[in-house]
Amino acid sequence: MSAYRMTVGLEIHAELATDTKIFCGCPNRFGGQANTRVCPVCLGMPGALPVLNRRAVELAVKAGLAFSCRVSAVSRFDRKHYFYPDLPKAYQITQFFHPLCRDGFLELHGRRIGIERIHLEEDAGKLLHDPQTGRTYIDYNRCGVPLIEMVTRPDIHSPEEARDFVAAAARRLRYAGVCDGRMEQGSLRCDVNLSVGLPGEPLGVRTEMKNLSSLRAVSRAVEAEYRRQIAALESGGRIVQETRRFDETDGVTYSLRAKQDAHDYRYFPEPDLPSIRLEPAEIAGLAAKLPEPPEDRVRRYLAWGIGPAEAELLCEDKALSDFYDCTIALYPAYKAAASLILTELRRCFKETGEGAEKMRLTPAGLAGLVALQETGRVSKNGAREVLRYMYAYGGDPEETARREGYLLADGRDETRRAVEETLEAYPQAVEQYRGGKGKALGFLMGQTLRRLGRSANPVRVRELLTAALENEDG
Amino acid sequence: MDLTTLGLSDLAGLLQRRELSAPELTRTCLDKIQQEDGRYRSFLTVCEERAVNRAAAAQRRLDRGEGGPLTGLPLAVKDNICIKDLPATCGSKMLENYRPSYTATAVKRLEKAGMVVLGKTNMDEFAMGSTSMTSYKGGPKNPLDPDRVAGGSSGGSAAAVAAGFVPAALGSDTGGSVRQPAAFCGLAGLRPTYGAVSRFGLIAFASSMDQIGPMARRAADCGLLFAAMAGEDPLDAATKGPASRGRSGAAPAAAGELPGDCLSFLQGKVIGIPVEFFAELPSEIGALLEKTAAVFCRMGCRLQKASLPGYPYAVAAYYLLSSAEAASNLARFDGVRYGLRVQGESYAELAGRTRREGFGDEVKRRILLGNYALSSGYYERYYKKAQAVRREIRREFDRLFAGCDFLLTPTVPALPGKIGASKSPAEMYAADLCALPASLAGLPALTVTAGFAKEGLPIGLSLTGRPFQEAALVAAGAAYETYTDGGRRL
Repeated sequence: MSAYRMTVGLEIHAELATDTKIFCGCPNRFGGQANTRVCPVCLGMPGALPVLNRRAVELAVKAGLAFSCRVSAVSRFDRKHYFYPDLPKAYQITQFFHPLCRDGFLELHGRRIGIERIHLEEDAGKLLHDPQTGRTYIDYNRCGVPLIEMVTRPDIHSPEEARDFVAAAARRLRYAGVCDGRMEQGSLRCDVNLSVGLPGEPLGVRTEMKNLSSLRAVSRAVEAEYRRQIAALESGGRIVQETRRFDETDGVTYSLRAKQDAHDYRYFPEPDLPSIRLEPAEIAGLAAKLPEPPEDRVRRYLAWGIGPAEAELLCEDKALSDFYDCTIALYPAYKAAASLILTELRRCFKETGEGAEKMRLTPAGLAGLVALQETGRVSKNGAREVLRYMYAYGGDPEETARREGYLLADGRDETRRAVEETLEAYPQAVEQYRGGKGKALGFLMGQTLRRLGRSANPVRVRELLTAALENEDG
Repeated sequence: MDLTTLGLSDLAGLLQRRELSAPELTRTCLDKIQQEDGRYRSFLTVCEERAVNRAAAAQRRLDRGEGGPLTGLPLAVKDNICIKDLPATCGSKMLENYRPSYTATAVKRLEKAGMVVLGKTNMDEFAMGSTSMTSYKGGPKNPLDPDRVAGGSSGGSAAAVAAGFVPAALGSDTGGSVRQPAAFCGLAGLRPTYGAVSRFGLIAFASSMDQIGPMARRAADCGLLFAAMAGEDPLDAATKGPASRGRSGAAPAAAGELPGDCLSFLQGKVIGIPVEFFAELPSEIGALLEKTAAVFCRMGCRLQKASLPGYPYAVAAYYLLSSAEAASNLARFDGVRYGLRVQGESYAELAGRTRREGFGDEVKRRILLGNYALSSGYYERYYKKAQAVRREIRREFDRLFAGCDFLLTPTVPALPGKIGASKSPAEMYAADLCALPASLAGLPALTVTAGFAKEGLPIGLSLTGRPFQEAALVAAGAAYETYTDGGRRL
C-alpha cells in the first residue's frame, strides 16, 4: 500500500421533483420526444424572461434542511457564461455569489462529512451524436429542469466513503421528497475532485472528474484517479490541475482540458430575477414537513430487533418504509411484518415492476394479515399466498384467506369432526396406536389433515387427535 | 383637418363621434407612410394587411359601442419589441430573418385596448446608440430637419410620430433611448419606472435598465399608453413586488382632465434643480431651461436647488453595467437556433463566423467592453465599482426626493447632430449623460418640448419623479405643454 492519502470533495447535481421547470411552465419530466417540452423561455428566445418557480425554492430549502444547512434569508441568482450548443442563452442561471444554503453536513460511518453549500440552478439540454452520419442533434427538453448542486468539503478519504456518501445523500434527498435520485436516468449526477498527499504535508494539486453516473463509477473513478496520481508522482512527474473524464469501459481517467483552458465564466448577478427572500416562518414550515431521516429509521428498526441488512433494505425506499411503519402502528409484530414485506411484497414489486406508492395492499390489510398469522389462524406460507391475492385484488385479509381456503380451522368442531371421522374410518390404526405402536399416530394425522385440506391446522389436529386417543383409552 | 397632427384623444373623439372610421384612419396613415417614408426610413417593416384587418376589427368594436380611449388608433412599435409572426430585427443583420412566436406583453395590452399596429420602426442595432445610425438598414432622418439625426436608439419611432405617420409609438429606454429621440423630434416621451411595464417580448439590451416607453405628440398621450401597458405581468418577475405596491395615487388621470386639474395638481409642488446637470450645458439650452424653470414657478411650483454628486460617474457606470449585461444577453446569438447562420466546421467556427458577420461595430465594441468588465481579475475593478456607483446614485436620489417632488433637468445637453458628423464613441457616450442617472436608479422620467433653439430645433426638458409617479410626471408635463403651447410661448 502507498503512503499517500487521498482527499476527495464531491459535487452532486440533483434534479428537483417539481411538476414544472424552474423558470417556465414546461413539464419537468424525464425523456419525451426531443424538443417537445420547450417554450420560448427555456429555449432562451430573445425577449423571453425567466420567472422563478417557487416550488423549486421550497425543495432546495428542504434539501438544505435535510443536511442541517443554514438557509439564507436572502439569496440571489447569477449568470454563468460559456458557449455550448446545448446551452441556449449561452449562460446558465445559477447561484454563485449568494447560495441558498450553506454549512451543512451528513454523518457517514460515525464521521461528519461537511457540506459547503447547496444552491439552485437550471439544467442544460443534451447533445446527441449520430455516429453513422457524424451529425450532432440537440434536445432541449432538459433545459430549465431545476437542479440543486451540493458541494461537499474535502472530507472524504476512500472510494467506499465517496460511494457511500453519494448513496446516503441520494437517499436523504429521496426521503425529503426533493429528488427521485435515479443516477441511471441522470436525475442525480456526481463530479469528483481528488488530490493525494503525504501525511503531514499540504494537500496536493486536485483534478476533477465530471459526470459520474453510477455509484460504481464513483468508487471506481476515485480508485483509478488515486492510483494514477500516485503513479505519476512516484515516477517523478507532477499533477496538473485539470478536468478529466472517467471511462467506464476501461476503468481509466483521461484528460479533458487543463486549467489554462478553463472557462472564465464571467459571473454576474442575474438582472432578470429578483432575490429570493425567505421568512423564518416559511423555513420553519418546510422544516416541519421534513420526514425522519433514513439513518434514524434504520436505528429504530434495529432497536425493534430487525437485522441490519433487513433494516437497510426496508429504508432504501421511503414509501416502503412508510408502509411498514403504518403497518406496525396498527399491529406491532415487527419481524413478521418485515419478513412479509421483504420477501413476498418485494417479489410482487419485482414481478409487476410497481412500487409501494400506489398499490392495492393497505397497511391495515397487511396488519390484519400479520395478526391472522400471529394468532395461528393462517400459516406462514398461507400468509404469503394471501398477501399475493391482496396485492393483486385488495380486500380484507380474513375474507381473502377464507375465500382462498387459507383460513385455518380454528373452530374446534370442524377439526374434532374430522378427527372422529378418521378414528371411525381407521379402527385398525387406532388399535395399533393403543397397542403401543406410536407410528400409527402419524398415519392418523395425515388422514385427518387430508380431510381438512388447506384450512388444516396441524398443531390443533395433533392436540385433538392425541386427546381423543387417550380419552378412549381412559 | 389634418389627421396626421392630432393627438390620441382628439382622434379617439373623432372615432367615437363617427366623424372618422378606424379603417379610414389606418388607411390615411399607411398611405402617408408609403408616400413619404422613403425620405425618413422610420419603418423597417410595415404590416399593411394585418393593420387593415385589425382596424376593421376595431371599427366593429366601436360600432358595438365597446370601444375604449385607444380603440382604432394607429401605433408604431420599435423593432426590438416582439410581435408574433412579424420581423423583429433589432436593426441587426443577426436577426434579419427572425420572426418571434410571441407578442410582447406591452403590445398585447395595447392591441387588446384596440390599437392598430402599423409596423416596426428603425433603431440603433440592438438599441445601442443615440443616433439610430447603427441600424443595419441605415438610420432614420429627423422629419424636422432631414439633414439631422432623429436620435436614438428609438429614432425610427420618434421619426414616425414626428413625420405624422402615427399618433404614437413605442420605444425602449435603457439609457435615454426614448427620451433623447423624443426630445430631438419635438415629442413627449416617457421612460417608466423600472418594473412598471413588462419587459416580456422586449429583446434585451441591458436587462436591469430596459423599459418600454411611449412616445407621442403630447405628454397626455404618453400617459394614456402608459396606463394601458403598465402593471404586473406573470411573465416578467421585475413587475412583481414593489411594482405592484405604491402606484401613483394623487395625480389626475392623464386624459381629458387637462389643463385645470393639472395646474391645480402642480400648486405647491417642489421642483428640484440638480446643479450638476446644468454645469456644462451649451448656453442656448441652459438659457432656455432657465426660462422653463420660471414657467414652473409661474404655474405655482416652488423651485429648489439640489445636488446629485454622483452625476459625473454616471457615464462610466452606465457603460460598464449596460455593456456587461449586453455582452451576456447577446451571447445567445450563435447561429444555432434562429437568426443568421454562417456555416463552419465546428460549433466554435460557426458561432464565431455568425457573430463576426451578424453584429455591427458598435455592438461588437460593447460586447468586448462588457466581457472585459466581467472577466476574472477585472470584475472587482470595473463591474463591482460601477455597481457601487449605481447604488450611491440611488441613495442620492432618495435623499433628493425627500425634499422635492420632481427634478427638472435638460433631456439632452445638445441639439440633434448632422447626419454623418463624426464623433468618437466616448463623445457619443458622454452626450447621454443627462439621461443616465434616472436609468441607473430605475426612476420614471418624462421629456416634453421645453422650447426651440434659434434654428427651430426642439429642446427637451426632463422631469424625473419618485418610483411609480408616472401619472404625476404626465400631469406636470401636460400642464407645461398647455401653459406654453408646446414650448412656443414661454
